[in-house]
Amino acid sequence: MKKNTLQKVLSASLVGAMAVTMLAGCGNSETASEPTEKATESAPIAEVEQVEVQEEAGMASWTPFEETVTLQVPVYDRGGEVDVTSNYWTNWIQENFGDAYNINVEYVAIPRGDVLNAYANLANSGTLPTILMEYDFPKQAQWADEGYLQELDLDQLAQIAPTYYQMIVDQGNLQNTSLNGVTYFALAERPYWNNTYNYATFYRADWLEELGLSYPTTFAETLEVYKAIKDAGLCDYPAGGSKVTGAGVDQNYGFRTYPQDEYEWATTGDYAIPALSTEANKKLVKRQNQLFNEGYLNPEFYTREATDNEADFIAGKCFEYRAYIAPSIAVLDSFYEQNPDGKLAIAVCPGLVVDDEGVSNSYRPNNSFGMMVSFSATATEDQVKAGMMYMEWLMQPENLFTFQYGFEGETFDYVDGLPVMRDLTGTEYAMANNNKDYFCIVVESKTLGNIEDDVKLNAPVNYPDSDDFYTQLLENYNGMVAMADSGYVNSDCNFAVVISAQSEYQQVLLDKYTEYRTKLTTCSADEFDALYDQYSQEYLDAGYQAIIDERGEAYNNGYTSKLPQ
Amino acid sequence: MKAKKANIRPGVKTTTSWKSAMRRDWQLYLMLLFPLAMVFIFNYAAYPGLRMIFMNYKVMKGYDGSDWVGMQNFVTLFTSADFMRALKSSIVFNLLDLLLGFPMPIILALMLNELRFKTFKKVTQTVLYLPHFLSWAVIGSIAYAMFRPSTGLVNMTLMKWGVIEQGIPFLTEKWHWAVTYLLINVWQTMGWGTILYLAAITSISGELYEAAMIDGATRWQRMIHVTLPGIRSTIVTLLIMNLGKIMGSNLERLTALDNAMVKDFSYQLAVYIYQFGLKSQHYSLGTAANFFQSLVGLALVLISDRIAKALGEDGLL
Repeated sequence: MKKNTLQKVLSASLVGAMAVTMLAGCGNSETASEPTEKATESAPIAEVEQVEVQEEAGMASWTPFEETVTLQVPVYDRGGEVDVTSNYWTNWIQENFGDAYNINVEYVAIPRGDVLNAYANLANSGTLPTILMEYDFPKQAQWADEGYLQELDLDQLAQIAPTYYQMIVDQGNLQNTSLNGVTYFALAERPYWNNTYNYATFYRADWLEELGLSYPTTFAETLEVYKAIKDAGLCDYPAGGSKVTGAGVDQNYGFRTYPQDEYEWATTGDYAIPALSTEANKKLVKRQNQLFNEGYLNPEFYTREATDNEADFIAGKCFEYRAYIAPSIAVLDSFYEQNPDGKLAIAVCPGLVVDDEGVSNSYRPNNSFGMMVSFSATATEDQVKAGMMYMEWLMQPENLFTFQYGFEGETFDYVDGLPVMRDLTGTEYAMANNNKDYFCIVVESKTLGNIEDDVKLNAPVNYPDSDDFYTQLLENYNGMVAMADSGYVNSDCNFAVVISAQSEYQQVLLDKYTEYRTKLTTCSADEFDALYDQYSQEYLDAGYQAIIDERGEAYNNGYTSKLPQ
Repeated sequence: MKAKKANIRPGVKTTTSWKSAMRRDWQLYLMLLFPLAMVFIFNYAAYPGLRMIFMNYKVMKGYDGSDWVGMQNFVTLFTSADFMRALKSSIVFNLLDLLLGFPMPIILALMLNELRFKTFKKVTQTVLYLPHFLSWAVIGSIAYAMFRPSTGLVNMTLMKWGVIEQGIPFLTEKWHWAVTYLLINVWQTMGWGTILYLAAITSISGELYEAAMIDGATRWQRMIHVTLPGIRSTIVTLLIMNLGKIMGSNLERLTALDNAMVKDFSYQLAVYIYQFGLKSQHYSLGTAANFFQSLVGLALVLISDRIAKALGEDGLL
């Protein structure tokens, strides 16, 4: 080939390749159907009637689709080593469920720390997955408001997925499936929903032994412990500290007056938007201000990530570390490696404690349901049907058990009659977050049906203090049960109508709260009250007042859940 | 020009028709198609989407289903305390960026041009270019590792040497932050900024320097009276282009160096647009703010171009 001809061919090929590459990004692989119109009228708080399940309903009635249906299921990506969209377990689902019914199951990774943006980007590009999942009612409400969701036919769910439907009924959550009078949500099960024993506080028991102190149950005792730790030179900043971020960062449940005023609870009692301007929040932030000014909080907390706190705990530079319990916890691995003589314990809830200032150890219980599952407005009829089949199939005990534990002798062994997981790290069976972000569509956590076995299964094992952990976790659970009976533990208010102002202002308020809360924590004690009033007003003006008003209107019109009498 | 014309032999064709140029160089024109298509698609094809600034655009409703709201988005913008706060900070910091950052590459280029030892000059240039290739995320991490009040390298060293007793809040107090923020940008951009000036300097005739030397001009005088006037048109062109960025702001830079204590200054237009436009999904509002930025930028470029021309410079357009 002549040099000149070669040049021409090469340049033409190059241009062609570039053009194809460029245009490939502009295409839309699938034509989406028109979104369903969302209902705009308000309706009384849901009175959803139970549907009658037909005899031939459920898996027995399923037949494979004639043409392959693509089912896209979201899965949280927590940045672990396992590819959440393709691994042994996603293949297992495809082989055992997808292939049987001619369904192509695809998983869509949703970054755990950026859920709303991730779904917004998918909506923008016209690629919303078939199923949308989120724990928080306000986020699902926002999606419904934005038109992301289609109406859920409960009758269809009952016929295709009778086991799943019956679970919703049995959990008493049928009335939570609707918004603005339209049914949108299927609700997964959440065992022990009003008890947060599985989010444990690990503390330096060896330090307390050395100082002759016990674990504090009030703020005054906490200050005493921190002071003793500092004075003994055990660490500089016992309270640690990292930047204030996101929803749920400041939970002021312990700072409220009980029994709660129902209107106040409905309008400012959630954790989706921090309640700056309320008295409860003022008390909470004031104590943080005190910790800062007395030198117990890391003075650079607002430049530090949560992982810096973990590193501090491992390095013996702070007193406590909080985490969801699991048989193996990476921070504990590192802690015992760095501190072979260190002794840890888990803080035990002693039941209700109210201090001199009326501040209690109340906590936020979860909703009575786990994952809220809805279907995309662009999903086809077959895709919705495939989604319901997926939920029903995964809910079958044998399928769920295999997906949670795997195979005896390969991924788990029976010890004292309990399935104890092997270390699957690096093996072909490696699970992302213990497969929880897949099976959460059905149930929020593994459960064997009784708390003793569940604690035994989930407690951190193979650590020097593991025997104590089991006992402490069980005591903590029992302490929280006592709390739940005390009237000081109330779930957040749920709304049967969309609170538009919340969708409108939430992100802005979260960003503002980060700024105000940090400045309120770092100001001098003398400045605090005036600054709190100033920031409260600015916060209200920036949208919080509009949210309070809209929630108040919904409450007055009877479109909210109620506090237990 | 006359001399050139005199060299052309009579009867030799000096013009090329459009068709014959295409026949001869079709490969080059084919290659040109790609960048032209890129410019068209990404700079112009998106323009019809701009109509969302007059709409309350909702993703699932699309352009056809979303409501028209006239100038409401602009009314919302200009009555918003957050937007005005962001606008003010953007203008002030961009002016300061220009004031500090614009002369530095010129000074640096003049100094580099005076270096006579070639190897040293090349090494110096490479070292100066390197920060340009660092992302703001990396620069932010380095900055915090260096400048934290009590655990930053700089403060720890100064405290160890007894120069200071308490750490300097380089990045955690707004006025200190402002200075650090501006200087880090100078450090990051000045090396790369010298490239155009050095290229312009090489085009200055050596005869001018020789003449100046014969007239007894010192190195300093040659720099001021030969080199600087020689790159004046480049300076003016770049100044005009930089003026167009007065309304802009860099989200990566702001995010990398941000923290809750310096929001008074770090809350600039890029942050506002990200916060309101993307995170809160008010796409119309975000686009309107961005459109306003672009419009003012364009106006500034046009005005400064006119001024430059009025002062006898070539200008940009």
